[in-house]
Amino acid sequence: MRSRFDEQLNTLNIEMIEMGALCEESIALASKALTTGDVSLAERVSVLSADIDQKERNIESRCMKLLLQQQPVARDLRQISAALKMITDMERIGDQAEDIAEIINYLEGRTAEETVNIRDMAAETISMVTDSVDAYVKKDTELAKTVIGHDDKVDEYFDRIKGSLIKMIAENPENGEYALDLLMIAKYFERIGDHATNIAEWVIFSVTGEHKNS
Amino acid sequence: MTSKIFRSIFAISIVVLMATLVIITSFLYDYFTNIQIDQLKDELSIASVGTEQSGEEYLEALKSDNYRLTWVANDGTVLFDSQADKAVMDNHLDREEITEAFETGKGSSARRSATLTEKTLYEAVLLSDGTVLRISVNRASGFVLLLGMMTPVIIVVIVAVIISAVLAHKMSKRIIEPLNKLDLDNPTENDAYEEIAPLLSRIHKQNMKIERKAAELNRRKDEFELITKNMREGLVLLDKNRNVLTINSAAMTIFGTDENCVGNEFLMINRRYEITFAIEKALKDGHAEIRARLNEKEYQFDISRIETDGETVGEVILVFDITEQADAERLRREFTANVSHELKTPLQTITGSAELIENGLVKQEDMPRFVGHIREEATRLVTLVEDIIRLSQLDEQTELPKENVSLFEVANEACGVLRDSADKKDITLSVSGDSGKVYGVKHLLFEVIYNLCDNGIKYTPDGGKVDVDISETEKEVTLTVSDNGIGIAPQHHARIFERFYRVDKSHSKKSGGTGLGLSIVKHAVQYHGGKILLQSEIGNGTIVTVVIPKI
Repeated sequence: MRSRFDEQLNTLNIEMIEMGALCEESIALASKALTTGDVSLAERVSVLSADIDQKERNIESRCMKLLLQQQPVARDLRQISAALKMITDMERIGDQAEDIAEIINYLEGRTAEETVNIRDMAAETISMVTDSVDAYVKKDTELAKTVIGHDDKVDEYFDRIKGSLIKMIAENPENGEYALDLLMIAKYFERIGDHATNIAEWVIFSVTGEHKNS
Repeated sequence: MTSKIFRSIFAISIVVLMATLVIITSFLYDYFTNIQIDQLKDELSIASVGTEQSGEEYLEALKSDNYRLTWVANDGTVLFDSQADKAVMDNHLDREEITEAFETGKGSSARRSATLTEKTLYEAVLLSDGTVLRISVNRASGFVLLLGMMTPVIIVVIVAVIISAVLAHKMSKRIIEPLNKLDLDNPTENDAYEEIAPLLSRIHKQNMKIERKAAELNRRKDEFELITKNMREGLVLLDKNRNVLTINSAAMTIFGTDENCVGNEFLMINRRYEITFAIEKALKDGHAEIRARLNEKEYQFDISRIETDGETVGEVILVFDITEQADAERLRREFTANVSHELKTPLQTITGSAELIENGLVKQEDMPRFVGHIREEATRLVTLVEDIIRLSQLDEQTELPKENVSLFEVANEACGVLRDSADKKDITLSVSGDSGKVYGVKHLLFEVIYNLCDNGIKYTPDGGKVDVDISETEKEVTLTVSDNGIGIAPQHHARIFERFYRVDKSHSKKSGGTGLGLSIVKHAVQYHGGKILLQSEIGNGTIVTVVIPKI
């Protein structure tokens, strides 16, 4: 009985990693599309987003089944409930990557100097998402804590980009729409950073049983 | 086994005990019956003597609870009975023992009474007066006798059972003990029962066999590990559920993991979308190949399905580091693009000028200028093609004839060729220093000095100077070409030796040159096993130092 339960938990674990990998891939693609202006990459992001949604539903029903049929306690219960919370954040990451890709479509291949900052910010958020999934895979609370620490860096990037975009509008008012699009993209990346932080917090919860907000 | 032996011993002792009991009882019963009959006969003979002498009075006196005496007249009428009233008794003539006594003088019989639990023994004797005296005794049957003995029998049985249980227990333990103490690692050294000797020798043989097999397996495992450990390529074996079976050290480095990952799913080690996808594909199609960047390096992943008897048992992943290859490919692509561009530019000038002349659009007096253009560009093309040929020769690393060359002489020669262009810009070109003898390829060394001086002249303003200095130590010759020209900004230092790299991005024709000169210098110096140092700052001139070993 127990070994069957372990097997189910393992499958859940694998599916979580797969979903994490899909998220990483979709932001990496969105970021690449932003720097190269390649719209075809942006299209692949929306395909991935659909995959992520499907994965979320699969994991959700798997967790429900485990909760109802096995009535887990202690650590197992924490793992499953953390998984349920994490997939919501992962799904949001996928959605935001899709939103970024959509805006890139409007940019019509335009890449400006300002994107350099956004690219750095994107790299930072990608590494946050990668690390948060890594922390989950390795059950590494230290790594999870670094991820949480990195959120401030991403916020800093956002403020800096906001400042430079304000300057850009002031100097060239006709660039206003473009600047706002970039601001939206930066905001989405900032949100992705927040979701990665959430995932890291849930990783800590599933290992130690302590959650920051409780 | 102990309990089985115990049970057997115990059961046997119980059965033996019971059998003994039964046999002894039956023997004893017979024995006692005989004794009783003998006693009866004795009593009877005494009683018969008494009766013959004093008749009924004697019998009355003899009345006893143990015996029953019956005196029967010769017509069968009972004359006396010690336990019943003679008046009510039947005629006894038909009784077996009495009949027998009348006929033979003695008679005896035994009859069961109605209850079956008792048996009556009769003895009769014929007296001298023709009457018969009979004595009888009641005795219990064997069964009743046994019932009567029940208590002692039960006690005996219980005691016997306890004793046999204890003994059986001890015995079985003692029998088993040598078996338990067998040293199975060295089976032939045991001196237990000789019945198990064949078994022990068989175990010994099999032990040897297992040892040999284990040694062979270990050896193979070591071999496999040695091979995979020293492989530069990463090797990962997965089972059909994508769990890692084996991972070699190269693969551990590539994926940034350690031995603990063995047994885990591959996804735990790496979850790159492309790789996961390729693993799936290989499981379906049998093979997959992808390239992916991991940690700033380019890798090629060859993934194959492993099948045994048509059944998928796992997958093998081979990882090759193709960073260098990929870089070389990129360089080649860039080179091809540059070459085409460099070749196309002069050709376009030539075609343009030729078209103008062909269509008669060039005035007669302008003709020499146009033809001059065509010739200049054609010369440029030739130089370019020559440079490319030289470079490709150097690339091919063909063995070129070496000889003793004096760098000083070569430098003089090169400066002689360049003298004209230097004079045109009013640049002082001087050669100084030692003779600088090296063993090398003369025309390559010429190219080195020529190209360095040519560059010096090109990038030095009018009235400047270009100095060539040669110094020599025991082992190496140092060639220094210095100018006081425009200099090179630090960010270009690393790249100016690349093919077609220009500090001035406009590929300007002003300075001429093919963009291959320094590339040729680099390759020629490398061919001789030397090295190049570059010191330069914007506006402060350039010093190129070339160090070439003498042999």
